[in-house]
Amino acid sequence: MGSDSMQDLPDAPLSWGDTRWNKTGNWRHMRPEVRERAAPCAKACPLGNPIPKVMTAVSRGDLEEAARLLLERNPFPAITGRVCPHPCEVGCNRRRYDEPLAIRSIERLVGDWIQEHRTVYFPSETGKRVAIVGSGPAGLAAASYLRRQGHRVVVYDRNDRVGGMLVDAIPSYRLPRSVVEREARALEQMGVVFQLGVTIGRDVSVEQLLSSYDAVLVATGAHGERRMGIPGEEHFLGGLEFLRAVRRGERKPPGRRVAVVGGGNVAIDVARTLVRLGASPVILYRRTRKEMPAIEEEVERAEADGVEFQFLTLPTSAVKLDGYLRLVVVRMQLGERDRTGRPRPVPIPGSEFELECDAAIRAIGEVAETEFLPREVLDDQGWVVADKFTGATKRAGLFVAGDLVTGPATVVEAIAAGLRAGRAIDRFVRGEALPVQEKPLPTVPLKEINLDYFPRASRVSIPELPLAARCKTFDEEILGLDLNSARGEAARCFSCGSCNLCANCWIFCPDAAIHLDGDLPWVNLEYCKGCGVCATECPRGVITMKEELAREGAVA
Amino acid sequence: MRTGTLLWAGLEVPQEEYLHPGHLACQGCGAALAMRLVLKAVGGDVMVVLPACCWTIIDGPFPYHALRVPLLHTAFETAAAAAAGVKAGLEVLGDTRTQVIAWAGDGGTFDIGLQALSGAAERNEDILYICYDNEAYMNTGIQRSSATPLGAWTTTTPEAHPEDRPKKDLMAIMAAHRIPYAATATVAFPDDLIRKARKAKGIRGTRLLHILAPCPPGWRMESERMIKVSRLAVATGAFPLFEVEEGTRYTLTYRPAGLPLKEYLKLQGRFAHLTEDQIAVLEKQVEARWKELLELHARTHGTVEDIPVVPFGG
Repeated sequence: MGSDSMQDLPDAPLSWGDTRWNKTGNWRHMRPEVRERAAPCAKACPLGNPIPKVMTAVSRGDLEEAARLLLERNPFPAITGRVCPHPCEVGCNRRRYDEPLAIRSIERLVGDWIQEHRTVYFPSETGKRVAIVGSGPAGLAAASYLRRQGHRVVVYDRNDRVGGMLVDAIPSYRLPRSVVEREARALEQMGVVFQLGVTIGRDVSVEQLLSSYDAVLVATGAHGERRMGIPGEEHFLGGLEFLRAVRRGERKPPGRRVAVVGGGNVAIDVARTLVRLGASPVILYRRTRKEMPAIEEEVERAEADGVEFQFLTLPTSAVKLDGYLRLVVVRMQLGERDRTGRPRPVPIPGSEFELECDAAIRAIGEVAETEFLPREVLDDQGWVVADKFTGATKRAGLFVAGDLVTGPATVVEAIAAGLRAGRAIDRFVRGEALPVQEKPLPTVPLKEINLDYFPRASRVSIPELPLAARCKTFDEEILGLDLNSARGEAARCFSCGSCNLCANCWIFCPDAAIHLDGDLPWVNLEYCKGCGVCATECPRGVITMKEELAREGAVA
Repeated sequence: MRTGTLLWAGLEVPQEEYLHPGHLACQGCGAALAMRLVLKAVGGDVMVVLPACCWTIIDGPFPYHALRVPLLHTAFETAAAAAAGVKAGLEVLGDTRTQVIAWAGDGGTFDIGLQALSGAAERNEDILYICYDNEAYMNTGIQRSSATPLGAWTTTTPEAHPEDRPKKDLMAIMAAHRIPYAATATVAFPDDLIRKARKAKGIRGTRLLHILAPCPPGWRMESERMIKVSRLAVATGAFPLFEVEEGTRYTLTYRPAGLPLKEYLKLQGRFAHLTEDQIAVLEKQVEARWKELLELHARTHGTVEDIPVVPFGG
């Protein structure tokens, strides 16, 4: 500071500048990396719903934003918010801490909000035309996606109403018809055309559709009812046939005591419907409760409804006597595991017993009807052959999706398949390459959640009809959450892997080197000393420390 | 310069920074963060008076300076006296608004500056005295101070002879001076720290904040655990958060989360040598302190039921 005389010296030494010249980034050997990752709930969701972001929006009471986020992935949250077996809640990290978030109920709240506040979306037209066969969840999801892309969409269904299994099989106490009707009306308002009462293969052929549309999606589901192949089978009603009749207004049970054969969702729906008609169903299932393919929650509800279960039993014949049926039933035991990984049930010789009932319904599985499809897209057994991701078949322009391909699955899986096919068809009609499956993002396990920030809190209790009342009505049994309960519940979300601008990284940085201007924190690497406080205090695993290899942004 | 506020745990915190990056604090320095948070709380109309302490170094080598507010370096034992003088000088110049903050470490408060602090407090000088407590003379090489807790390792209380006296009760000393406001705080609870700093700013007379400021090198721990250890100090009860008004009215901020003291100790190498028996002694001491504080709170409020449990999961 070369000064020539004492007069140049100030009375006290004063600083000349601040410390910003000192780029302390070069102290760093670890670097904070800001990167969002998948939450286990979203990874478990067939639709990949951005659940943490939706929860953040709901916790702030911003249903409009929650709706926007959810609709990016799921066209029908009011439907899945009711009938989805919620694998998200199984994946939820909070399950391994206290109790999983009530994600489905929150999705339903957002879905209902959408149904009430929807504005009609008018896409700009591409002039491309797509025919969709089947108006079940897969077909509707594809229709929604393709119409939003601006294509003309015509949906054919052999029924006189829209919804497929949603309105024909799933009982109204699980999914009221009005919910599906509102979605159908919204699609119509957006310009989707429904051609109802048209059976493809009889009234119009697939070939005709292929020649008059740019692409065709077949999503006709699995409606063929598997037969048991036993003497007296003609005395059994089909499970789907029964459910369809009830959904069309039939209110007389086929008898007082009714045997229901099977362990899948149709069997459970049939049994619970019978209870509501005043009958006493008994479910005969050839394996044990553990192997039942039905949605676990529905099995529990059936038990609560008073449905009787006889596990490890299989009817071998039926005779009609004076006004009642006599079934011969054999007891089973579990043997070696079969192709599906479940133990194979084997009859116990000499264990036959008789079971008397007024009626019997079989619900042992549904199969797709494929005979109306071109031979070239079927294999020797008559199954559809298609790309698992896009639903594209050997025949250019012909796509398939949903239960038709997979066999009976869940509504959410059908919606997911419909959307994947929709995306593929969009690319196809634009003459672009079909999409390929993306590598899933790495997820955030519970051990990467900073639990210091999450005192234990119990799951919201979801209102529902009292047991006695629900067994007497086809009204919806599970009720909706009010906004306040939903906000409180959504606030329990760890938001695994999704930044929700909690600002921990910013407030705890001793070097004032983190800024929150956008959707994600920004680390000023010129000054970040790499202490790692931000990564430790990020409650949700968005910031992690990586070894410093290059010296970008630091002055050596 | 960013303006506006960000929400942290429901509290609006200004984005404006009064601490420049480039300062010389170690990685994960609790004292640097304490300064950053206090200045966010009280705003820019502030003068800081600084005796010898870590912050002498942190502020940067002459002629550089890490704060956007003026800072006066002064001698080790003089923080409170110098601050009182600066305040008097400002008043002579007609400035009655500017907050004068004496910012001293535990050495400059508990040991070397205690006489000046006592004098200023007794005269009820209008200063905000902040002790950032890292529980030893850290920048000179981790020598013990009278703020070093019982059982801790320092370079002058090596493992063979760890600290054998309890931490001096600064808050009791300040309460005995009947100053209008004294409070404890720590960096893991920035909302509480900011509220207390703002409350202190609104009071005239001598106010004291005792801020526990973890020191990763001195406490022998990883820098990324700085906030974690600060939080555990409160959650285990090792460092109670409370306020004392007029020397008599006690208000406890949180009650501990019922976590064993060990959870706090085990993160820090300075306690690594402790045996189970020695830990049990420390636990007894923490319990006794809490009993005392709860009585003081009850005497003020008639109940202890109004004390919230520290927000803590895990």
